Amino acid sequence: MQGYIYPNEFELRWSLLIVLYPYLTGLVAGAFILASLARVFNVKEVEPTYRLALLTALAFLIVAPLPLLAHLGHPERSYEIFLTPNRKSAMAMFGFVYAWYLMVVLLLEIWFDYRRDFVLRAREATGPLKWIYYALTLGSTDLSDRALGFDDKAGRWITIIGIPSAFLLHGYVGFIFGSVKANPWWSSVLMPVVFLFSAIVSGIALVLIIYIVATLFRGKQVDMACADKLATFLFYAMVVDFSLEMLDFIHRLYESEESIEILSQLIEGRLFVSLIVLQMVLGTLVPLISLGVVSPALSWRGTRKVPAEVRRLIYLGCALLVQVGIFSIRWNVVIGGQLFSKSLRGLTVYKAELLGVEGLLMAGAFVILPFIILWLLVKIMPPWAENEIPTSPEA
Amino acid sequence: MPQQVVRLGIAFAVLAIVFMAARQALVPDTFGETGHYRAAAVDSIAAYPLQYAGHDACAVCHRPIAEKKSDSNHSGVSCEVCHGPAADHAAAPGSVKPPAPRERGFCPMCHGYNASRPSGFPQIDPVAHNPTVPCMTCHDPHAPEPPVIPGACRACHGQIASQKGVSHHATLPCLTCHEAPDEHKATPRLIRPGKPDTRDFCGGCHAEAAVSPSHIPRIDMSTHGDGYLCWQCHYPHHPGTE
Repeated sequence: MQGYIYPNEFELRWSLLIVLYPYLTGLVAGAFILASLARVFNVKEVEPTYRLALLTALAFLIVAPLPLLAHLGHPERSYEIFLTPNRKSAMAMFGFVYAWYLMVVLLLEIWFDYRRDFVLRAREATGPLKWIYYALTLGSTDLSDRALGFDDKAGRWITIIGIPSAFLLHGYVGFIFGSVKANPWWSSVLMPVVFLFSAIVSGIALVLIIYIVATLFRGKQVDMACADKLATFLFYAMVVDFSLEMLDFIHRLYESEESIEILSQLIEGRLFVSLIVLQMVLGTLVPLISLGVVSPALSWRGTRKVPAEVRRLIYLGCALLVQVGIFSIRWNVVIGGQLFSKSLRGLTVYKAELLGVEGLLMAGAFVILPFIILWLLVKIMPPWAENEIPTSPEA
Repeated sequence: MPQQVVRLGIAFAVLAIVFMAARQALVPDTFGETGHYRAAAVDSIAAYPLQYAGHDACAVCHRPIAEKKSDSNHSGVSCEVCHGPAADHAAAPGSVKPPAPRERGFCPMCHGYNASRPSGFPQIDPVAHNPTVPCMTCHDPHAPEPPVIPGACRACHGQIASQKGVSHHATLPCLTCHEAPDEHKATPRLIRPGKPDTRDFCGGCHAEAAVSPSHIPRIDMSTHGDGYLCWQCHYPHHPGTE
């Protein structure tokens, strides 16, 4: 503790789990935007990651509200926000944004995309698996050209609806922080936009990591055209994201009046490692320069000079650094905004506990859980091209 | 209509019916009548047994104390703030006695120095202020008054006087630092009191060469403060001033 803080500011109310929540929703929105590149914008190179991106978004979306439930306590009451919707509360309306995104966007798109697979697997499988796949078809087993054509068209339309929905999902998270007028570290109309673009960056980087690691574990060759394209989009998204962040940062410092002194102390002291070292240098500048040099983002010649194996490793390293950087962004927003007193005369400290509902172990579990769910989803619904089942003649 | 649309329609219809049924079964009848809560909750809470007797119930038996308190600085503090909920005592005065807190930790819950409290509110540093002596030794909780008789300045500058009273300068009379001609009392806005206009004034006690008690903090007047007057950085009445 340093200087004067009010008694109710000594302990931070929004802890590590609230850092995790925007991080996870950002990954969901980013992964979905990546999927839409293949589906709506017809970027052929990233097609190998289309289904993987959708399943990644689903796995992380299932886990995204869990940190909130653990933080609030009484998860058994959570359904009440649906039963008695409070339209005046932005936080309460998140339940509906979440339900819309899960039920109407993600599950529907995955269902239309996988329906043919479900039907064919239900025919081939035996035992309980047969019934699981049949249940997943919802009884819709028509595989005629007309029906498959409808699936494709419906999937495309849902993706088009899904893009603004993904923007809404993560823009909302930024909206919550940006609308806290009393806090000069949060209050900014740019907040939803900055959150959104950092979400896109983190989502692309996550799918890139999962794609490269999963392909290596499966003993297959990484499709370098796909990896190059992902790295290129990651670079472009990072340029936009970095520019927006800098704009937000400069605007925040320029706009702040009496708060400028405490914000300077915050940046130079409490947030120096997480903001300057982790977020800006390691999480943004290093990957940005590496991708600019190695990936075909700026010039196709760049890729020729670096062997594919090395390029792959650099992409993986950059994507991991990006994850560190984006997590640091969430940390700096959520924790940073609570480290200085509303009196603007003092700073407090945050030390995450190890055990307990809001501890490091719990946060670690929430980071690992989506990967376990993703592993299960990949087992039931393989997203890889070689697992595609040819339509049998009796269909 | 495509088969998929029909099947999805059925699935969504089932979900919608389950949702409506859940709403019907789980949302309390009186929810939303008077706001975003169960209106009957007010009655449920009102049905809880009373814990507090209320100030009037105390005054019936403890009239002299109630009258004394009603004219004091604690007139706005209800008896049960310090003595705890007393409904049981009011019902059976002989058998249930409410507590009377006498330990030193109790009064500083309100009167311990805290930067977020109003600056005119009487506050002390419990560590430095007469340690080990119970507050009641000097202060009557039913008519609390500072043990020092207020000076003439305090009549108008009560807030500053209260603040100074718990600061490092508590023992200094106002006139040590301020020149206040008698005319100031008659026409306070026309004839203003003076305040130190040289650095050497504070240096009289705080300079390294000053002849003053050794516990007073010292500074090097030639290098410290960059030419500003001392009180431009160190507000001398403030308890937190270092």
